[in-house]
Amino acid sequence: MATRMKLKLKTVFVLYFMVSLMGLIYALMQLGQRCDCAEHDMPKDRTISRLRGELHRLQEQMRKAEPTKPPQKLAVKPAQPTIYVITPTYTRFVQKAELTRLAQTFLHVPQLHWILVEDSPHKTPLVSGFLASSGLAYTHLHTPTPRDRKLQEGDPSWLKPRGAEQRNEGLRWLREDRRGQPGADTQLGVVYFADDDNTYSLQLFEEMRGTLRVSVWPVGLVGGMRYERPVVEGGKVIRFHTGWRPSRPFPLDMAGFAVSLKLVIANQDACFDGDAPMGFLESSFLQGLVTMDELEPKAENCTKVCVGWGWRLCG
Amino acid sequence: MPKRRDILAIVLIVLPWTLLITVWHQSAINPLLAARKDDRHGSRRDSRNTFTLKKPCSFENKNIVEVVRTEYVYSRPPPWSDILPTLHVVTPTYSRPVQKAELTRLANTFLHVPNLHWILVEDSQRRTPLVTRLLRETSLNYTHLNVETPRNYKLRGDTRDPRIPRGTMQRNLALRWLRETFSFNNRHSQPGIVYFADDDNTYSLELFEEMRSTRKVSVWPVAFVGGLRYESPKVNTLGKVYGWKTVFDPHRPFAIDMAGFAVNLRLILFKPQAYFKLRGVKGGYQESSLLRELVTLNDLEPKAANCTKVLVWHTRTEKPVLVNEGKKGFTDSNVEI
Repeated sequence: MATRMKLKLKTVFVLYFMVSLMGLIYALMQLGQRCDCAEHDMPKDRTISRLRGELHRLQEQMRKAEPTKPPQKLAVKPAQPTIYVITPTYTRFVQKAELTRLAQTFLHVPQLHWILVEDSPHKTPLVSGFLASSGLAYTHLHTPTPRDRKLQEGDPSWLKPRGAEQRNEGLRWLREDRRGQPGADTQLGVVYFADDDNTYSLQLFEEMRGTLRVSVWPVGLVGGMRYERPVVEGGKVIRFHTGWRPSRPFPLDMAGFAVSLKLVIANQDACFDGDAPMGFLESSFLQGLVTMDELEPKAENCTKVCVGWGWRLCG
Repeated sequence: MPKRRDILAIVLIVLPWTLLITVWHQSAINPLLAARKDDRHGSRRDSRNTFTLKKPCSFENKNIVEVVRTEYVYSRPPPWSDILPTLHVVTPTYSRPVQKAELTRLANTFLHVPNLHWILVEDSQRRTPLVTRLLRETSLNYTHLNVETPRNYKLRGDTRDPRIPRGTMQRNLALRWLRETFSFNNRHSQPGIVYFADDDNTYSLELFEEMRSTRKVSVWPVAFVGGLRYESPKVNTLGKVYGWKTVFDPHRPFAIDMAGFAVNLRLILFKPQAYFKLRGVKGGYQESSLLRELVTLNDLEPKAANCTKVLVWHTRTEKPVLVNEGKKGFTDSNVEI
């Protein structure tokens, strides 16, 4: 036992030196060599490379599919009128949910520019962040409603017209923006006032794109009825079929009409009157722009409700 | 008696080796564990994979970020991928004025999601033309089913009666359809995730990508339920669910809303007896009636950044006020709304 235990410290260090030297030589040999990554290959990297390949394959597929699109699509003029959607919004619990739903619909519509106007003295981070990640072309504006026009807590939603100041702000920005870009092409467009709590079908946007002055169509679930609509005879609107105050100059809902950009620019003073009595907000804007017989009926002469529905959402 | 010096020598020999082995053990075991858990992405010996990039084992690759700018293509829906798991979205629906609007909104959302299979189950005796037409026009990948809830189980038009959960029979029919259509033994079938999406909620697109990686059952917060801004599972530092952050009966086995979880299709097929309980279910316990047959609390996978982000809102549509229709109906009933 004594002989075995004759371990000197010197021997230990010599042993270590030899082992480390061998290890170092081994490592130097390994450097620059392609190692067999079967054990060290991170499964995430493999997934990433596989998905990348899949992505390229799908992109190829889409590129191949494009020439097979029906010929009508190829005939579309490159200068397609842009639809400018003006949406007033205000902070409440369901705001983000509403805006999310709306954005998901708008993403399907080509050549759409969203003008979102907050009822607020400053831009809120929620809306700013939301718009930035939405993937849409947008303009973020804000203007607060004066106190006396604002709905107080406990007020029913129909008491005061909402969003007038915000829509006017949208119109002001649009007019200013167009003024800075002269040329006939930039006047090509349609303005639509879309509230954040409605539903819009995709056909609606294609219907309104060809608006020359003001186009109208039925709106579902509004005015206390299943739908409200203009009555068309001989291709012209003669009156409106609505259950609530049909004697209004334009008894239609905000979601039931669109105005051509040209008309908006030509009439610099046309805007929404925030002091107008309930239900007259739309009329206050349209009165200066167009007469009843100049209205263009859409949605198959206003017989189809494939278009916006207006109602309140609660969460 | 061994000398002190010898002991010191032995310690000096053994100690560094133990340190070395421990360190090597740690760094080697973790990637191996990850590899075993991630076997859903395919076995290592997957020879079908022609896109593997042979890289040397260097560390530079980790810093390369490939930015793929995809221009939005207005082709709907996105092309079907053979690799992405299919999302089977089960939606019960019933006829009412806002039905078409709700389904339209839902369709507009789903058209953004790749590999989505919509299972729409109507609460009706026959498939209605409204829904049939709507589904056909959306060009989504769908399955249209129907089953009528017997009269004595139906809610009397009042959502405040929690005794009879709405949509149960419809969801169960969808589960049965899935089990009949997909066989558990088919190893080459595309993986799938089952999600119960009611037609009046709002879903962000991020949610669908979060649930795609579900292995058993994944959970996340839901806004506007239980009388709160949102309800969410409680997640500990290890990333495991240990409770529920709710005010309404947090001691339920699964205090979660229908929109707050997704189940892997394999699990549904593996447990063919698991269904939503129809009778005798207390208010708020419907989800638990299914989940407790499928999984335990420990197996839940928290998503949405460890349940800190809200990606789904339990919005409910206020009934539209149709007072002006009058007794005989003011508008043309043939016009579909």
